[in-house]
Amino acid sequence: MSKRKSSGSAVVSESACYLELQKVLRQQIYKISAPCDVDGESDLDKPRRHLLDLIQRCSSMGESNSALIIGPRGAGKTMLLSSVLEDLKENRDFRDNVLEVHLNGLLQTDDRIALKEITRQLQLENVVGDRVFGSFADNLAFLLEALKKGSRDSQAVLFVLEEFDLFAHHKNQTLLYNLFDIAQSQQAPITVIGLTCRLDVIELLEKRVKSRFSHRQIHLFNSLTFDQYLEVFESLLTLPSEFSDKKFCAKWNKHVQNLSEDQGVTSILKKLYDTSKDIRTLKTFLMLPVARISPSHPRLEMADFVEAHKLLTADSKSNTLHGLSVLELCLVVAMRRLSDIFVNQPFNFQMVYNEYQKFVQTRSHAVQSFDRPVVLKAFEHLQQMELVRAAEGSGTGGRGQKEFRPMLLMIDKSQLMQAIQKYPACPTEAQARVQV
Amino acid sequence: VRADDMMPNIPKTPRQRKEPMGVLEQARARLHVSAVPESLPCRELEFGNIYSFVEGRLLDGTGGCMYISGVPGTGKTATVHEVLRCLQEEVDESNLPEFQFVEINGMKMTDPHQAHTQILKALTGQKATPEHAAEILDKRFNTPAPRRESTVLLVDELDLLWTRKQSVMYNLFDWPTRPQAKLIVLAIANTMDLPERMMMNRVSSRLGLTRMTFQPYTFRQLQEIVMSRMKGLQAFEDDAIQLAARKVAAVSGDARRALDICRRATELAELAKTPGRKTAALVNMTHVDTAVQEMFSSPKIMAIRNASLQEQLFLKAVVAEFRRSGLEEATFLQVFQQHECLCRLDGVTVPTMSQLSGVCSTLGASRLLLVEVGKSDLSQRVRLNVSQDDVMYALRDNN
Repeated sequence: MSKRKSSGSAVVSESACYLELQKVLRQQIYKISAPCDVDGESDLDKPRRHLLDLIQRCSSMGESNSALIIGPRGAGKTMLLSSVLEDLKENRDFRDNVLEVHLNGLLQTDDRIALKEITRQLQLENVVGDRVFGSFADNLAFLLEALKKGSRDSQAVLFVLEEFDLFAHHKNQTLLYNLFDIAQSQQAPITVIGLTCRLDVIELLEKRVKSRFSHRQIHLFNSLTFDQYLEVFESLLTLPSEFSDKKFCAKWNKHVQNLSEDQGVTSILKKLYDTSKDIRTLKTFLMLPVARISPSHPRLEMADFVEAHKLLTADSKSNTLHGLSVLELCLVVAMRRLSDIFVNQPFNFQMVYNEYQKFVQTRSHAVQSFDRPVVLKAFEHLQQMELVRAAEGSGTGGRGQKEFRPMLLMIDKSQLMQAIQKYPACPTEAQARVQV
Repeated sequence: VRADDMMPNIPKTPRQRKEPMGVLEQARARLHVSAVPESLPCRELEFGNIYSFVEGRLLDGTGGCMYISGVPGTGKTATVHEVLRCLQEEVDESNLPEFQFVEINGMKMTDPHQAHTQILKALTGQKATPEHAAEILDKRFNTPAPRRESTVLLVDELDLLWTRKQSVMYNLFDWPTRPQAKLIVLAIANTMDLPERMMMNRVSSRLGLTRMTFQPYTFRQLQEIVMSRMKGLQAFEDDAIQLAARKVAAVSGDARRALDICRRATELAELAKTPGRKTAALVNMTHVDTAVQEMFSSPKIMAIRNASLQEQLFLKAVVAEFRRSGLEEATFLQVFQQHECLCRLDGVTVPTMSQLSGVCSTLGASRLLLVEVGKSDLSQRVRLNVSQDDVMYALRDNN
C-alpha cells in the first residue's frame, strides 16, 4: 500500500476531506440503525413483518396485543422496533391514532415511578407541566379509570418496555398485570411490547400475569454468517455516495474493498467473529483504526487492525501484573506455589511470608530480603488490587488478625507465566520458580 | 382529582377505525380474548351454582360468602360477571329486589388496605384514607337500615389482600355475618387451599365452606369454546381447532392460550395467502402447528446454535467439566482449563481470561448459564440453565 501523494495546492482541501471522512465514518459506526439495511434482510424480515402487522393492527383496527422481543445483547432489538416505528410514522393516520409510552426497566425501578412516567407521557388530566400529582394509589386508580373509559374509538396506546425482565421484579408485578389485563379486555386498545435479553423471561412472570400475556415471542439471534459479517465490516467503512469529493470517495471505497479481501484483515476479523457475533463488538473494534486516519496516516493499515485487536483482547490481569514491583511479583509467585501445593486451598499471609523467606534464603542471592512489615505492605497492596481476596465463607470482615486471614489467589498459572515472560528485568530466580 | 369533577380520559381518535373485513379478520376479532360471548359455553353448572347462591341470598335479604378457586384462564371472573348480568336483567324485570354491585381486584391496588377506600368509593362515591374508610364501612354495615338494598361484592385476586394481621380479609368476611349488612361476598383466587394455607382460623371460619372449584378445561371444552366463537364463520378446518385444543389442554387448560393460538394461526394463514386470490384459504393444521411451535417451543436450542464459536466451546467446556467432576456446578477457573483443552483440540486460538469472562457473562445475560456476579472472578460458580443433553444436541449438528 503506497502512501497517497499530496500535491501542495491540494493540502487544504485534503485535510477538509479527512475531517469529513472522520465525521461520516464516526456517524456511520455509532448510529444504531446503520447495518440492518445491508445484512440479514431475510433473517429480520419475518420478525419485522410480525411486529409491523401487530402495531399496525392496533392503530387501524383497535386490536389489543402484547408481544415480547427476545434476543441476546446487541442483536438489534431496539433497532428493529425503532425502525418499524419510523416506517409506521410516515403514515399520518398512524401518527394521529397512536400515543407512545416508552419505559425502561433501568429508569423506572418501581411501579410508582413507572406510573408517574406513564401518566406524564400520556398527558392525562392530573399532569401539570411535567409534574404528576396524587399518591401512588391515586395514580394507579386514575390511569386504570382512564383506560377503562376508553373504547375502540379512543387513541391506541403503544407501551414499549425496555429491559422487560426488570419489570418482572417489581412487587406483585402490578404494572405488568394491569397492562396485560387491559390488553385482554374491552378497553382502550393498547399494545404492549417488551424487550429483553433473557431467554427464560416467561418463567419470571407470575401465573396470572403469564396467563394474560399472549405468548407472542419474537426471537432475534446474531445469526450472521462470516461472509455477512465481512459485508457489514465493508459497509461500515464505505463512504456514502453523498460524499463531497467524489474522487477521494471512490479511491477510499476501493481501498476498503481491498481491505475486506485482504487475508490478514479477514483473519483478525475471523478471530473477532469467533468470540462474539454481535455488531456492537465490531463497531468498538473499528473505532480505533478509524480514529487514527488523518492526512499523515491516510490509509487503514494492517498494523492498525492488529493493534486494535490486541487492545480489545488484552488480558487485564497480565497487564496488572506488569505494573507490580519485584517484591510483589515474588509474593505472587510464592502464592502461586502455595496454591499449587495445597491445590487451591486458602492460605494466609504467614504462609506466604514463610514461602517467600524460603525462596530468598535458599535460592536467591540477588533478590533482597525485605523485612516483614514491608512484605505485609506489599501483600496489602496486592489485596487492594483484588489480585488476592479473602476466601469465601471465612466471613471475617474486620475481625481476626490480617496476617492470619484465609486468602485466595485470583491469578491462573498461565496468566502468571505470560506476565513473567514479558516483565521487564524479571529476576531469573523468580522465573525459574514459576516454571518448577 | 380528589374532587370528582375531573374525568380521566384518553383522547378519541380523529379517524374512524376500520371494521374487520373478510373472513379471517372477522374471525380474529371474535377470537380476541376481550370479545367475551353472551353466554359462556362449558360453564353451565358453575353458573347455575353461583346464580342460585346469589339469588337465594338476595331474596332472603341475608348475606354470605363464597370462595371460588381455579387456575388462571378457566373462566372464573367471566362466569361471575355473567351471573351478575343475568341477575341485573331479573332486577330490571322486577323479579328480584334491587342490589348494588361492587368489584375490587387485589392486583389493581397498590396496598391491601386500599380495598377499603375502593369499596367506599364504589358504594357512596366518597373518598377517604383506608383507615377512615374502614371505619365508615364498619358503621354502615353495623347499623340497621331496613330500606338498604343488598350489596354484591366481587373480590378478585383475593390472595393479594393478605396482610400480616389479615385485617382486610377479616373485615371482608366479617361484614356479611352481621345481620344488618346484607352483603354477599364472592371471593376469587387461584389456589384451592388458600383459606387453610394463608388465613388465620378466625378468618377462614368466617369465609365458610361454600366453595367452588373451576376445573381446567378439557380439550373437548376448549374445542367447543373456539367453535362457539366461530359460529357461522367458515375460517377454520375442524381438525385445526382440535389440534390447538388438544395441545393447550395437555399443558394448562387455559382458554386464553387456546384463543391466542387460534388468533395467531389466522394471522399466519393471512400471511400465507397467495397474492393472486382475493380470499385467503382456511386456517389449516400447519398454521396452527406453527403457532403452537411459536408459543410453546423453547428457543434455547436455537440460541445455542446461533452463538459464536467461543460461546459454543464454553458451553461444551462446562458440560465436559460437569462430566469430569460429576457435579452440576463448576468454578470459572475449572471451566477455563477445560476450554483451553478444547481450543487446542480444535485448533482455535485460545482466548485470554478477560475475553472468556466476557463470553461467560454474555451467556449469563441470556440465561443459558446461571452465573454469580462477576466480582468473585476465578472462583465464580457456573451452572447450566439448559440440560446437558440439550447442549450436546444443539452442538452436534454443527460440526
